[in-house]
Formats: sequence, structure tokens, C-alpha cells
Amino acid sequence: MTEEIDKALARKYEAGFVSAIESETFPPGLDEEVIRKISAMKNEPQWMLDWRLKAFAAWQEMETPDWAHLNFPVINYQDISYYSAPKSMADKPKSLDEVDPELLRTYEKLGIPLIEQQMLAGIAVDAVFDSVSVVTTFRDKLEEAGVIFCPISEAVHKYPELVKKYLGSVVPQKDNYFAALNCAVFTDGSFVYIPKGVRCPMELSTYFRINEQNTGQFERTLIVADEGSYVSYLEGCTAPQRDENQLHAAVVELVAMDNAEIKYSTVQNWYPGDEEGRGGIYNFVTKRGICHTNAKISWTQVETGSAITWKYPSCVLKGDNSVGEFYSVALTRGKQQADTGTKMIHLGKNTRSTIISKGISAGRSNNAYRGLVRMNPGADKARNFTQCDSLLIGDQCGAHTFPYVESRNPSAIVEHEATTSKVSDDQLFLCQQRGLDPEKAVSMIVNGFCKEVFKELPMEFAVEAGKLLEISLEGSVG
Amino acid sequence: MSFWLDQALAQAELSNDCLAEHRAKSLEALRATPWPTRKTEAWRYTPLLSLDNSVIDEPNDNIDYPGSPEGVELIELFFVNGKLQSNINVAVEGLTIASLDNLNDEQQAVAKTVCQSAKPSRHLFGMVNDVLAKQGVLISVADGSDIKPIIRLVHLQNGGQSHVRHLIKLGQGAKVSVIEEYRGEQSFVATSFSEFDLGDDAVLNHYRFGLQTGAAKALAGCHFNLANRSQMHSTLVSFGSVLSRLDVDINHAGEHALATQNAIYLLADKELFDLHSNVEHMQPHGTTEENVRGIIGDSAKAVFNGRIHIHRYAQKTLAELNNRNLLLTPKAEINTKPELEIYADDVKCAHGATVAELDNKALYYLRSRGVSEQDARIMLNFGFINELIEQMPAEPLCEWLQGELRTRFGDLRTQLSVEG
Repeated sequence: MTEEIDKALARKYEAGFVSAIESETFPPGLDEEVIRKISAMKNEPQWMLDWRLKAFAAWQEMETPDWAHLNFPVINYQDISYYSAPKSMADKPKSLDEVDPELLRTYEKLGIPLIEQQMLAGIAVDAVFDSVSVVTTFRDKLEEAGVIFCPISEAVHKYPELVKKYLGSVVPQKDNYFAALNCAVFTDGSFVYIPKGVRCPMELSTYFRINEQNTGQFERTLIVADEGSYVSYLEGCTAPQRDENQLHAAVVELVAMDNAEIKYSTVQNWYPGDEEGRGGIYNFVTKRGICHTNAKISWTQVETGSAITWKYPSCVLKGDNSVGEFYSVALTRGKQQADTGTKMIHLGKNTRSTIISKGISAGRSNNAYRGLVRMNPGADKARNFTQCDSLLIGDQCGAHTFPYVESRNPSAIVEHEATTSKVSDDQLFLCQQRGLDPEKAVSMIVNGFCKEVFKELPMEFAVEAGKLLEISLEGSVG
Repeated sequence: MSFWLDQALAQAELSNDCLAEHRAKSLEALRATPWPTRKTEAWRYTPLLSLDNSVIDEPNDNIDYPGSPEGVELIELFFVNGKLQSNINVAVEGLTIASLDNLNDEQQAVAKTVCQSAKPSRHLFGMVNDVLAKQGVLISVADGSDIKPIIRLVHLQNGGQSHVRHLIKLGQGAKVSVIEEYRGEQSFVATSFSEFDLGDDAVLNHYRFGLQTGAAKALAGCHFNLANRSQMHSTLVSFGSVLSRLDVDINHAGEHALATQNAIYLLADKELFDLHSNVEHMQPHGTTEENVRGIIGDSAKAVFNGRIHIHRYAQKTLAELNNRNLLLTPKAEINTKPELEIYADDVKCAHGATVAELDNKALYYLRSRGVSEQDARIMLNFGFINELIEQMPAEPLCEWLQGELRTRFGDLRTQLSVEG
């Protein structure tokens, strides 16, 4: 048994490989000049550059937040390179044939349905390879429906009015340390606009991938669902193996106008570092959505990667009758640390929110749920239900829960429940009695534990998520 | 640093008693600790401005003594404006009570071990109290003694500043019940801390009635250190005031220890009450059960932070914490945060927190049976609290306390009926 465990523990990161593609990369360092260069590389208009510089000025005044239950060395922001583009992008490929075949092979290894598979999977993929969006597909089909789905750098040129109006409207430049940094140096990301009354004909998906050594990845996503529209957006990522810690500070903003609905699903599998916790991605993400009247935003996330996860997808329930949901599975093993959760800010009447969080800790990892539910005085008859469960596998890990409940409305109802336990001996016994080996049994029990969240994921993600958990748990049992 | 603290420290007399060493240490730590701001996690919802900004009333001897619970044998000690007023003449076998300023050698040795045995240094006002407290008693219960009378420590204050520290030591298998009672509504500052050190198999029944209200600025703490198989049952009843904060720390320093804690708070006007509870499970097989309930009326604000920390070695721990709140008016506010920090895998832990108004179904049930809405609301609110009161081990105390609470409910009566 121990031998097997050792073998499994020594298992290498499956998605760990570096594609040999020439890249144009800035030397490490961060100052106003770098921001001007990023902006110039992208031919950005003056207002965009000013916006970035304002954020940078704010960022310099801010301090790294230290309230999270995380332990990591001080990040030297001057050691990071802030721009990297695959070189073959210089003469923009017009079709897939022109794309660097090495790049395509990388995607194939990751199993992204980029060519024919796209049609079958019904997914339009805006693949982000390092910092520049390489291929955007299905654009025509989406255009037919009036849906805009393009790299945000392109949106800045093509739809400046929309970008100007909504960029920073949910997560302002000074929101927090990492958001401010992102505002200053973001390189690319996705922009989605769903017009009034349109139900987006397919699920939109972006595959992120960090590829360049020492390159921070600063994604910026903005999704606007106009009145009465619907969109489901998938975000998933894996990253190649390397030794140095990489910084990832993304910002995602969602705007759901009256009666609109946005469903945002994430599978996150960045490189978590080796057994000693060396390497691995530092993931500091700000995700927030604003719901207007009768709107709904639903966040679903499966977090299995990254050395450090700092992530709180939130909903501001501004309009009456709006709904916020957060479903999360966070699994940590090795020396991973996760501090993740959500904020539900109830402003409008009859607003409702549901939080289901499942944390699984194995190895020597630490997994914390941190959440805030706030009922403002105007949130008459608002309702929140929160359920946080933690599962501990092994006696060297930690599971923590830090829920903040703030209520200033007597008619609002807030319920919070949390439990922590290990995998039940009874359940294990039952499974083993029926011939399952302990590892399979644990995997099955854990999958059951997470079922409530998995069922919220789109089909293909649910399958991937289940598999991810299974792989991640290998060697953690015994 | 705060103006108040600077002044308080400037007035501190450096006496050379047995706790001098502790004082010096705390003073050093205190000087190195920044004064809390809104960004300090432990003081996020509780501003300390009133310490610096309010005029403190002059203390006087014009004090109303509260009635005593009937039908129960008591040993009563009264502290008025921070000074012990009663004679300590206790002739109960196995029980020693001595004033902190008058300890013999043996008692000094006990005091030294009990003082700071449980209190984590991170609590700011605990350190302030360390430095400034000269008054208080040492209660020591000999091994195997079962003390029948309940020890009631009554603290009355109508002005000035008081700093009181009690040290209670229970020997192996000792049993004792202690009531701490605090009253006053004038503008004064009181830091009141007590430390309980339980020996193996000891049993402590603890009651803390923090009934200070109005302009009182009350900063308090109760710290418990549990040895093998020891048990503590604590009931906390608190009203709010302009500034009222209680830190409860329970350390499971021995195996198989049991801690139960029932806490209630009833707030009206613009009162604030902040309860921070922290349970450290450092040894295996510990059990903790905490039930905290609050009713918040007018534009009062309640803060609850309940942390359960299970150390790596504390396998087989069972810990449960429950916080339920009723908000009576649109201006009332509750901020609650039950925290779990767990490093051992073979444990069962749960916590829950709810905030709501009264259950409409229950109201409907009562009204269907001819109870007026006002009475039904009062009944249900009282029942919500009373459930915990009735679990108190000493029945005569329940009756006495229910009387006290009825007066408080009288204050809340109009809201219970009109706005609730």
C-alpha cells in the first residue's frame, strides 16, 4: 500500500509540458513605461492608456492584503515580465492553417476541441495562449445572433462605447490590490455582449494557458448580458510545469441587466507546484457580477490547481428579485493553499442567494472557505442559504471556515451551516465490502460529496471535473 | 495609541507584588501592540472611539445593591467602583478566598500559576487589565472538595475607572459554582477579567451576567483552562451599552475535557455588544458545545465571532457552535462570524448561524389560539432566550434571572409588539 502511495505521490502534473514557441516578451519589471508599451503594442486609444495609468497610480499606493489564511513569500513585482505574445502572431493568421502548428498540438494535448470537435461540442473557443488571443471561432454564427464574443483588446477598438461604459463598472480600478494591478497591466481576455432578449445559441468558452516562463498572466473578462438575455460561459485552464512561481491576477466582471441571466463556470487546474510546494501558480482573482432587477448570476467553480488560490466570485444583488448563486468545489493537496469563497451583497428587495461550498483537503494542504453575506437595510424579505462542508483526507492538512454574516434588515433571513469531518469509516467500509479498493472508494465518496456542485456544471465540464478530482486524489488515501 | 490608554497607563502604580513580573511583561507587549482600528480584524465592527471621546462620571458611594437570588446558599462579595467592599470570612472546608492585595506566600504561588494560564496574549484589553488590575480575588478550591454554596461576585459601578481581575483555581476533582455579575449604567470604564484554571476531573459551573448598560464602557474577558476530564458549564447573559465587549477563551489543555457554553444577548437603544469566543482544542477527545442567541432591538448592534481551533494533535474532537439572532427593527444590526480552523482529520465539527425575524407559523399558531399578537411576540421572543436559561444547573438562579430579563423585555416591549 505505502509503495503505491509513494508512487502515486510522485506522479507528475499531467498537463505539464512547455511548448517550444518563440515569444516576444518584455524584460522583467514594472513601471509606467511598461504600461505605455503594453498599451502601444495593442494600439490602444488614449482613454484606455489613461485608465491603466490611473489604476497603476492607485496600485502603487496600496498594500498587499494579508487577511487571507495563506502563507506565501513576498512577491517581487519587478521580477515579472508583463507581456508575452507568441511571435507568429505578428502577421495575424487568418485561418487555422496559418496558426503555428506547435500551438495547435499544445491544444490537442489539452484536449481542446478546436477544429472539427468545436462543431460537435457546440463551443466557440476564444483560446488565450499567453497574452494574445490566437484564434476566435464561431464568430460568424454568434454574429448572426448579434452576440459579440471577442478578445477584449479587439473590443476596445470595435466597441469602445460598450467597453468604456462597463469596464471597471463592477470591479473599479481601486477595488483591491490585485484588481488594481490587473487594471494597469491586463494584456487580454474576453469580451462578451449579449443583446436584449437574445439567448446565446451556444456555450462560450475560453481556455487560458500560461506558457511563457516568468510571465504573469493578467486576464480581463467582461460579460454584459443586456435585458432579458441569457449566456453560459465556461472558463478552464491548465498550465505547464515549471519551477518558478507565477503570478496570475485576473479580473472578471459580469453585468446582468434586467431579467438577464449569466451562468459562469470555471474549472481551474493551474500547476499546483511539486510535493514541496515549489513552483506552482499564485492565483489572485477578482470576480464579481452585478444583478439588476430580476436578473440572475450563477458562479460554479471547480478549483483543483494553483499553489495559492485567492478567489471570491461575488454577486451584488442590486435589483429587486435578483438571484445570486455560488457553487464551489475546492480541492487542495500537496502543499497547496486555497482561500476561496464568495460575497453576496443584498441591496434589493426579495433578493435571494445560495452558497454551496465543498472543500476537500489532502496531503499537507490548507483549504479555507471565506464568505460574506450582507443584508443591507433595503433588502426586504431577502433570503440567503449557505452550506459549507469540508472533508479532510489525512492528518496533516487543514480545513477552515470564515463566514461573515452582516444583517441590517429584520425581514431578511440568513442561514449558514458548516460541517467538517473526514471520509466516514462506515461509508468506506461499505464500499470496500463490495469490492472497491480504498482509493476507488474514496474517489467515489468524494464525488458524491461534490455532486451538488457538479450537477450545476455544463455536461462536458462535469465530466472533466469528476476526472480531475479523481486524478488529484490519487495517492492521498491510506 | 489611544489617549485613554496613555492616561490609564500613566496613572498605573507600579507595585512590587507577586504579579509584578506578569505586569511588566504585559506592559511591554501592550506597548508593541498597535491600537485597533476599523481594519483590525478583531475590532472590525466595534469602534473604540467612546473610550477617548466621552466624559467619565465621578464615582460616588450612592449605589443601589441588587437583590439576591433566593432559595440558594450564596457566598457574596461586593465590589463597588472596582473596590472590594465585603469582608472575606469564609469558613467552608476546602475553599480559600483571598483578596489579591493580601495574599500569603502559598496563595501567591497559586496566583502566579493561574494568572495568564489561559489568556492568550493577543487580547488587547486582557493586557491592559494585566497591567492595571490591582483588585480582585483569588479563589482556590482544594483537591476533591465539592463547594455547595455558590460564590457570587457582584460588581457595581457608577463612575470612574475600574480594573478587576479574579483568579480561580480548582484542584483535582474539585467542584464549584461561580457567578460573576456586573451592573451600572453611568459613564465609566471597566475592564474585568477572570481566569479559571481547572485541575483534572474538576467541574465548574460558571455564570456571567454582564448587565452593564447605558453609557458604561465595559471590556471583559473570561478565560478557562481545562485539564484532563474536567468539565465547565458556562452561561453568559449580556446587555449592551455604548461599548461592551466580552472575550471568552476556552483552552482544552487536557484530554477528554468538556465545555458547554450558552450565551444570550438582549440589546436595545443604540447599544453595542460584541462577543468574541475562542475555543482551542489542543488535546484529543475534547468536546465543546456552544449555543449563542441574541435579540436585537432599536438601533442596537450585535457582534459575534465564534472561533473553534482544532490543533493537529486534537483528534476525536467533537465541536459544535450555533448562533441564532432575531432582529426586531429595521435599524438593528447583527454581524456574526462563526469560524472553524481545523488541522486534525478525525474530528466532527459543525457550526451554524442564522439571522431572521420571528417564525410566522409560530405566531399564527398562537394567534389562532386566541393569544394577542403582542403577547404572542413576547412569548416567542422570551421562549427563544428562555430555552437556554432553563438549561442552567441551578434552578433558583433561573427564576431570579428570568425576573431580571422580564424587566429587560419590558424595555423592548413596544418594539416587540409594534415593529417586530
